[in-house]
Amino acid sequence: MRIPTRSTPVRRLALAGLVGVTVVALAGCAAPGAGGGSDAAEQEDIAEQVTADQVADLGDITLTMWADQAEEPLMDLLVPAYEEAYPNVTVDITYKSFDDLIATVVNAANSANAPDLFQGNIGYAVDGALVKAGLVRPLDDVADVYGWNEGTGASTLAPSKWNDDATTFGDGTLYGMSPISEVQGIYYNTSKLEALGLDAPASIDDLEAALPVAAASGETPIMLGNADQYAGTHIFSDIAATTQDPADIRAWIGGDPDQSFVTDGNVEAAETMAEWADAGYFGDGYDGLGNEDAIARFADGDGVFFVGGSWNGASLNAAEFGFGALASGGVGATASPWHISSSSENAIASIAFLEMLHSPETGQWILDTGRLPVITDGVTAGDELQQQTLDALTATIDAGTQVGYYDWTTTDMLTVMGGGLQEVMAGRSSADDFVETVQAAWADGHGSE
Amino acid sequence: MTVSSATRATVVATPRGRRRRSSFTAYSWSSLLYVAPALLFFGVFVIYPICISVQTSFYEYDGLTVATPVGAANYVAVFTDPALREALLHSLVLLFFYAVLPVVIGLGLAGLLSRIRIYGLTFFRAVLFIPQVLSSVVVAVAWRGILASDGPLNSVMQAVGLGSFATSWLGDFDTALPAVGGIGTWVQYGLCMVLFLGGIVGIDRSLYEAARLDGAGAIREFRAITLPALRPQISIALILCITFALRNFDIIWNTTRGGPGTSTAVPSVYIYQDAFQNRALGQASAMAVVLTLLILVIVGIVQFALRERSDVPRAARRSGGVR
Repeated sequence: MRIPTRSTPVRRLALAGLVGVTVVALAGCAAPGAGGGSDAAEQEDIAEQVTADQVADLGDITLTMWADQAEEPLMDLLVPAYEEAYPNVTVDITYKSFDDLIATVVNAANSANAPDLFQGNIGYAVDGALVKAGLVRPLDDVADVYGWNEGTGASTLAPSKWNDDATTFGDGTLYGMSPISEVQGIYYNTSKLEALGLDAPASIDDLEAALPVAAASGETPIMLGNADQYAGTHIFSDIAATTQDPADIRAWIGGDPDQSFVTDGNVEAAETMAEWADAGYFGDGYDGLGNEDAIARFADGDGVFFVGGSWNGASLNAAEFGFGALASGGVGATASPWHISSSSENAIASIAFLEMLHSPETGQWILDTGRLPVITDGVTAGDELQQQTLDALTATIDAGTQVGYYDWTTTDMLTVMGGGLQEVMAGRSSADDFVETVQAAWADGHGSE
Repeated sequence: MTVSSATRATVVATPRGRRRRSSFTAYSWSSLLYVAPALLFFGVFVIYPICISVQTSFYEYDGLTVATPVGAANYVAVFTDPALREALLHSLVLLFFYAVLPVVIGLGLAGLLSRIRIYGLTFFRAVLFIPQVLSSVVVAVAWRGILASDGPLNSVMQAVGLGSFATSWLGDFDTALPAVGGIGTWVQYGLCMVLFLGGIVGIDRSLYEAARLDGAGAIREFRAITLPALRPQISIALILCITFALRNFDIIWNTTRGGPGTSTAVPSVYIYQDAFQNRALGQASAMAVVLTLLILVIVGIVQFALRERSDVPRAARRSGGVR
């Protein structure tokens, strides 16, 4: 075949047309983002608890929602109860995988038919964008009316509070609520610990003493799957929370301009990671193993320890594994918060749904479906492993050491920190370079706000 | 582009072709009506989004609030970011694995399959083409398993005494890029092979007979007849493979996410991160525009270098007749 020569009249015509269309398109457009999008509906603050009669006055309505796939078991219990309490409301939930959800929910919230209720994600990438663009309804009135600011769950609201410019979070106006909490810590294989003559580690020092023993026996001391780059940062944060005041870490994550990542504690934690990697405590090839694959192997009896968090518990058989917090009180955070769209016409029905999500009854359902509730009063664990996880969580919330996750800080922090830590662990860059790089990305992210 | 009609144009004598083209110009406006529906579709779904990308690249835009114009700042950032330079370098390495190797392997296989009489040739051809048909996410997940530290590849290596070379291929800073490249080779060679087989079918059998009469061996035959005759197919294969290599995202994202560290990061990984994670749509658009231009330039160079300089059958006959 012959590729036709370029400058035939037809081609020239097509080219001219293309250029013409381009010019028209560019000249005819205003700046991106001008016009379009959703219009905020009239949102009235509530002064008293929403009643079923108030919701009934809305007539037959459909409440549209976007939620993380992981919420489906919980929603299967909650939605029928809600529809029974408010019979004129039909709930229509669209489930998305977590990655899909955080990649698309902001645009969905900005669209003309935004869902009434949806889950965001703490930090600048999702919640920050939602707040900044005015796409979510403030919830301070709801928290006041329903007493969310008192009781065990109160401190877990902090990551959903933003300042007026949406430049820092942790304090300010409340925009979201998560009924689910997470706690980081270490899982251990009970029978292997017994065989090695070790006790369950209660601190980083305990763990550090146990690792060489496990390695000497030929076991993989810590099962790590770091291909997704985030599993390593969980281990790092467990160590870092013991080498400095957790409150400082939380302030840094929240965007406090007086805080820095360049601390002796962080350098020490990164050096510890490098030493453990060098000593083979993470086994071989952890950078080529996905986190899901790693937990599957650990569940199958490969490895003595697994550093992760309560979200891993569902994969593990309670009879064979135990859980403990490493830092005093443990490191943890709240899961993706729920938001009410500022363009929702059915805000009252949405508020009723949120309150139901926040109730102790739902807390028990959350525990029953393998997660941890923020309302821990009166919930009972189904087995020993769940009880250990719940204990770690209550200790964390009591100690106020729920520092949150590093990747909340800037939109690219997961990559910067995860990739940087891989380099440190492989001995390709120093702990000092690592903390400098992370701080530079943090400063960059906050400076451009 | 329709291959068959272009082929016919080559066969038709040039003067007639020219006359036909000039008459086409006269009726071009009424002819445009026929292509109008396709043109409209193309305009709305291809041209318009491209224009929006170009426009967005001159703004700082989070996708929600009104954008602020920043002039060429996004482009300056593209050319001064050391991470992007490193990513481009990775792309060039991948060009070898995603374009050069598949073409070489494809040529070899096509040469073999066209010479040897194999029962069930269609079957083998279909099997060798499978990588091209599979979804790249499936390919990535499968290869993640194959290349894992306790995966089949390392098991085989241990079995044949190469155990000391076994490693976590995608997790090692030194092997991750070639490993990802190898996946691309596996995906692309089938496409090249099928293209070349199609080309070989079109070569006049009498040329081979003549060459054999003149005493040419298999290799000589391949070099003197097959290779020159396949020039257009090689050009097409290279263009497709180069485009695939430079805009490659799904395989890398689903195997290494650009890691370990940044050792397999390519421009499209940064484009994705800026567009969908960092909400820096202006920066992402600028990168995408630069990447598109780069692809066009490289493809243009390939097209120019491999353009047909003379009538293929005659060239083949001439060199085939030597000896």
